[in-house]
This record gives sequence, C-alpha cells and structure tokens, in this order.
Amino acid sequence: MRRAATTAVAVIAFGATGVGAYQLAPQPAATPAHWRELAWPFPRDGWPAGRAFRCEGGACDGAELYLRAKRGFCNCDSGVADDDEVDRVADIDLITPRFAAVAPGEVVRVGEMRGRARRYDLATYDGAGPAAVGIALSRRCDLFVAAARGRGDASAMAHAALVFLATPEIKSWAMAALDGK
Amino acid sequence: MFRCVLIAAAFVLFAGSTSVHAQKQTIGAPPEASNMKLVGSNDLQARSAYQPTIHHQGDRWIAYIGHHGGTDDVPAPVNPMTGQAEPNGTSIVDVTDPAHPKYLRHLPGQEGKYEAGGAQMVRVCDGKTLPKGDPNAVYMLRTFGSQAHEIWNVADPANPVLLTRIGGLKDTHKSWWECDTGIAYLVSGAPDWRTRRMTQVYDLSDPAHPQKIRDFGLPGQEPGSTGAVPTELHGPISTGPNGNRVYFGYGTDKGGILQIVDREKLLHGPKEPTPDNLRYPEISRLPMSAFNGAHTTFPMLDMPVAEFAEDKDGKTRDIVMIVDEAILNECGEARQMVWFADVTTETRPMMISSYTVPEASGQFCQRGGRFGSHSSNESMAPVYYKKMAFIAFFNAGVRALDIRDPYHPKEVGYFIPAITQATDKRCIPVEGGERCKVAIQTNNVETDERGYIYIVDRANTGLHILELTGPARAVAGLPKN
Repeated sequence: MRRAATTAVAVIAFGATGVGAYQLAPQPAATPAHWRELAWPFPRDGWPAGRAFRCEGGACDGAELYLRAKRGFCNCDSGVADDDEVDRVADIDLITPRFAAVAPGEVVRVGEMRGRARRYDLATYDGAGPAAVGIALSRRCDLFVAAARGRGDASAMAHAALVFLATPEIKSWAMAALDGK
Repeated sequence: MFRCVLIAAAFVLFAGSTSVHAQKQTIGAPPEASNMKLVGSNDLQARSAYQPTIHHQGDRWIAYIGHHGGTDDVPAPVNPMTGQAEPNGTSIVDVTDPAHPKYLRHLPGQEGKYEAGGAQMVRVCDGKTLPKGDPNAVYMLRTFGSQAHEIWNVADPANPVLLTRIGGLKDTHKSWWECDTGIAYLVSGAPDWRTRRMTQVYDLSDPAHPQKIRDFGLPGQEPGSTGAVPTELHGPISTGPNGNRVYFGYGTDKGGILQIVDREKLLHGPKEPTPDNLRYPEISRLPMSAFNGAHTTFPMLDMPVAEFAEDKDGKTRDIVMIVDEAILNECGEARQMVWFADVTTETRPMMISSYTVPEASGQFCQRGGRFGSHSSNESMAPVYYKKMAFIAFFNAGVRALDIRDPYHPKEVGYFIPAITQATDKRCIPVEGGERCKVAIQTNNVETDERGYIYIVDRANTGLHILELTGPARAVAGLPKN
C-alpha cells in the first residue's frame, strides 16, 4: 500500500512537471534554453555514434543530452513495453553503469514514435551531475533513445529534452537515422 | 590481340550476367549449390520457420519444426489439412523417406506476428530415456509464443497430446533439454527479472510434473538490481553430467558473451538470485566485440588438432563454436558470422578463428533480406560432430564447414534454395516508404544421424532436405554417393 502510494505520488509529480507534459508550452524561465551541439563523447560500442548537446540557459542549463538511433530489435510489435526496457536501452549506461531509477517511468510520444521516459540517480565520479533521464522511443523494430544528465531539476531537464526532441530538426534527423541514413 | 579483346569482352559479359543472377533470385530458377544437393522438400504450409529437431522415433524419422508468428499479410495461414486459419505453431513432418517428406500435423501456437507469436523452439526426448518418463511416450518440449513452455506427448506424432504448460512469462526462446537426466534450461522471461530473456532451470525428468530448480542469469539482470543490464540470453547448450558444463550464449547481434558454467554448481549451488549466487557457478566469460552477439554456443570438447599432433602438450583442444545472428536487412549492421573459441584453459578462453561467407561471392548485400549467420546444427551425432558444421546464413543459404582444424575452418559446400511463390518479401525503409526484395532466408539447420541436412526458411519457403556430394562427403567420412 505504501509502495503504491509512493508510486502514485511519483507518477503525478513526474507527469505534471515534466515528461508527460512536454507538448505544453515550455515553463517560464529567465533565459530560453538553447541546445548547443558537442562532439559525441563516448567510445565506440555496438551502435553507431549519435549526437550530443549541452543546454545553455533555461531550466536545463548545463545539462547534456545524448541522442541516437538503435536499429534492429526483435520486439517489433510491443515496442518499449516497460521500464526495464528503458533501463536496458536508453544509454544511461554510457554515462555510468551505476544508476538507479528513482520512480516508475511515463509514457511519452514524439511525433510518430511512442515509448517511455524514466528518471535516474547516477553514481558518477566526474562531478557531471547526479540526475539523469532516459528516454526510449520505438518505431517498428527500431529505437530512438535519449539520455540526459545534469545538476538541475530532473523533471525540468526531461521536459526540455522532450521539447528539443520534438523540434522539426531533431525529428527529421531521428527519422533519417532510423532509416539508416 | 583481337582474340584477347574477344575473351575480355566475353568475360565482362559473363561477369555481368552472373552478377545480375546473383543479385536477384527468381521463382523457378535452379538452386545455387556446391557439394550439396536437394533430396526432398516441404512447404511447411508457408509458415516462417525456426528450430528444426529431427527425432528417430521407432522405425520412423520425424521432424519437429518450430515457427515464428505470422506476417502482416497473413497472420494465420490456412492449414490445408483442416481448412482452418491457424496461428503458426509447430510443424510435424515424417521424413523417414527424405525424398518424400509427409506433413503429419500442424499444432497451432500463440497468436501474434513475427517474434510475438508462434512456437519457435522444439526439443524432443524419449520417455524411455528420461529417468521418470513414461517409456511409451515421446515428449516434445516447445515454446508457446512468448507466454509459456509446453510439453506434449508425441508418441503418435500425428496426434500430439498436451501434458504440461509452464506459463506466466514475458518471453521465451532457445531452450535446451538433457534427455538422459531431464534437466531443462528454459529460456524464459520471468516477469520480475530486468531482462527479456534469462534461464529457468527445471527438472523435467517426469515431464508431467515439472520441478523448478532455480532462475539464472547474469548479475544485474536479477530482480531488484540497479545499474546497467547485461546482454540478454539467447540460448544454452549443456554437456550433461559427464561434461559438467553449460555454455550460455548471450546477445543476438551485439555485445555477445560466452559464459562457461559449472553444471553441478548451477544445479546444486545456492539458488536465491543474488549477485553472489549468480556468480557462483560461473567459470569464466568470453566477452565478444560489441559488433557481434552469441546466438548459438556449440561445444566440441577434446578435439584432436592434426597440426598439434607432435606437440608435448595441447594436442587436443576444447572448442566452442559461436554463431552470431544477423538482424537487419541488406547489411544494415556489422557482419554477423561464426567464431571459434579455444576454451581448453577455461578461465582464459580465446577466439582463434572465424568464418563468413564472402559477400562478393553472391553480392548478398544487394539480394534482399538478411545476410549473415544465424544458427548452426546442434546435433552431436557422430556423423558430423567435430568434423563438419552447418551454418544457416540467411540469403546465402546453408554453408557446410570443414572444422576438423578449428583454427582454420574451411567452407566445403553450400546450398541456396530457389525462392517460391510463398517466399515472403523483406523491406528496408527508403525515402517516403519502403523498398522490398524477395530472397531466401535460411534461418535454421539441423542434421540427423543418417547425415541428412535439414534447412528451414524464415521467409516462408519451407523445409529443404539435403545431402552432401563430392569432396564434402569425404570430410565427414561418408561413402561416395
């Protein structure tokens, strides 16, 4: 019962302030957020490199966002079915293999892609920031994933990341990447 | 000079024509083959096929063939024997006369398309071999889509009887069943585990009364764990109580791991899925490149290697053949292929060789569908064991390898069936839509004790029964045909 209540509160807080509300107007901020592109910071792994960005201004100031397409999964019909899938695929493990989810995730949608987003606490040693958000979206048998980390409020970071994902430039790039271009 | 020009022109024309032929398969064209020939075939009711298991049952040979779910176009093909649309399940085919395979029964599986339905996996044990089995029974263990494992009595293969179902799962896949002990390593998705696929070890020595022994996986996959989740399981192969090892393959086309496990410790060690308890039976791991996964991990222990015959030590080697699975159509990923690991010194396994079909030999990246390896035969019958391996290579058909020197595996034959009206298309995204091609997708392969080779097609082309010809027969020590 206590767990259920905690979960409900977490879902409400998460949904009301961040991910679930990404289609609404951005929250007021002193300076509008701008995402500046960086070099992809991670070593080569099984998927081709993606794109990295740093948030400047706004509620996500200083946060970093890592985006990439992951083509080829077997769960073509079910897509991103649960939070475990977000844990597995959302690239949070690129930042650190030591992370823990802080709450159940939320259903999110960006364009034609549907999936889930989830917040995490990170155990990092580089002082880059203890909060992270993992987002996994599916299109048929392929995934588009995002991982954001920063020092600020995780819900605001998630909101800013989803707003950025929904911009025409990023949506267009994501579709091309999922097409293997 | 003029003659040289003519020869050059003819060569260019010939190369051009074979190139065109190689890129596009056509209905009615002859199969492409070298040192392998077709003996018989069956269309398997145009169902997408996965694991074939060939069982010597009394005086008959029966093929049990698992199926993936249906397609977008045909979610449940019509079974001509019943006139009913049936979700893909298990095909049961009498292959006693391999030239004239006789389709006995289609046993429907879980509704659903592609990997989401069907009944992909099949293993078969005789009741007289299982410690507590009914000696008159023959037991078929199969998956039921992603939901369950089932055991059927197939003593009369045309009229199977359901005995047991182990359900409540979120995924299943390529299980292994020791017929002499009844221990089964069921690839499952236990609802509380963080991975789609892990192992549930069961005692199925009395198939009517399954006894669960434990859950098993890599630390980080267990319930309640945090952090990065290790690559999901694909399938294990056990050497039974004599070999006392289980070789687990994790991954599909990425981040593969070969895990070598002490069977006794796995079965009798502490069972609570804590990180320490999951580590306890592990002897070692061989992490593979992030580019490759481990679909099949096929052990071939104590292999004499001719090159080392005069050496004071290391004359024989313990080898594990690892087969990756290609997932993306038209070479949309790193090449998935075959690897040989020397695990003689178990705590320091090492990759020693590899094999792939040369892409240019058939311009396979342009043919359509997947190109790359998927699976190998898993029969350990003496006819081919430690001598030859057969690899399903999707649009490059089946490949016969001489593996007597696993440090230098060598292709000695191949067979690529012709496509038929039933062969399904394979598509890739292009600007504004899709582009589709039709090509053979040899998915799985198995052999029987007689030496016949059974290949099945993921793109609905059915079953082809093959035999070796020419020099390839000599590799296996088979008489000339």
